[in-house]
Amino acid sequence: MKILLIIPAHNEEASIEKTINSIKNYDYIVINDGSTDHTKQILEENNYNHLDLCYNLGIGGAVQTGYKYAYKNNYDIAIQLDADGQHDAESIKDLIKPIIDGETDFTIGSRFIRKNSNNFKSSFLRRVGIRLISNMIFVFSRKRIYDTTSGFRAANKEVIKYFANHYPKEYPEPISDFELVKLGYKIIEVPARMHERQAGKSSIHSWKSAYYVINVLISIFIIKIRRIKK
Amino acid sequence: MTSLQIEMTVAAIILFLIIIIGLAKNSLSIRSSITWLLLPIAFIIIAIFPGPLESFAHWLGFETLSNFIFLVVIAILILICFFLTIILSRQQNKITKLIQEVSILKHDKKNNEKQK
Repeated sequence: MKILLIIPAHNEEASIEKTINSIKNYDYIVINDGSTDHTKQILEENNYNHLDLCYNLGIGGAVQTGYKYAYKNNYDIAIQLDADGQHDAESIKDLIKPIIDGETDFTIGSRFIRKNSNNFKSSFLRRVGIRLISNMIFVFSRKRIYDTTSGFRAANKEVIKYFANHYPKEYPEPISDFELVKLGYKIIEVPARMHERQAGKSSIHSWKSAYYVINVLISIFIIKIRRIKK
Repeated sequence: MTSLQIEMTVAAIILFLIIIIGLAKNSLSIRSSITWLLLPIAFIIIAIFPGPLESFAHWLGFETLSNFIFLVVIAILILICFFLTIILSRQQNKITKLIQEVSILKHDKKNNEKQK
């Protein structure tokens, strides 16, 4: 089975080397999303396998590029991994196991199931927001996904193909979770270790959180009424 | 001739000239100019025959024809803005796709060169 790690990186000069060193025994592709720091030089000097986006596309466009690459190169499983070291490389095998066993189409590395295995603490407000999104997805689809904003996810071949052609540009994680549920793909949440960010800033912070949640809720509603095809 | 008729004629001529200049300079495509050309044409028709439209405006409850024209023009502008947003979203999607494809092609090219 061909397995690919998709690592979107936007201005991650401080952590990119450490992240790649931790996953060296997997195939990987770093998507340099128009970084303005030294991310590009680091990738080139170390000869890391990477794609350069000439303009910044944002997380959705960058991750989709990775799925396109996985699809074109015939990968069986693609895993999204953040470049900032938040996702624990040790959890990758837990993430892909249900897919290899053919139990599911898609797995989400979750911070919120089996809490004791986890040293990740997110703010109260952020948890409220994630909970709200989770409830909305549950109301619309009868499927409970706890960690709707997790960017640590793995997809099988069918989902890779779907994402290569359709991937939300904004707030991609919760929206694509819901799209997959709506299309009838099987999703399993797997407990995954996540660390506090080692460097850099999260793409979701402080007052932007409320804006983020409202946008996601509206987007989920739109996806609910929109006709989508595999 | 009322002042409204004169003003609309002048506005139509200016708008028409702007569109023609845009077309001549090739900064406006013929396809998108057609929508805009309808506006001065409509202005001219109203300026020449204000009668029917005026009675229509009165029938709708507008006190003057100019009020009615204001409303209609604003409505048209809002519509055009909306369609521009749709076009913009489509263009954005195309640009995103192009950036993605280019990055993958560049990567393939580099790999091929390495193998040689």
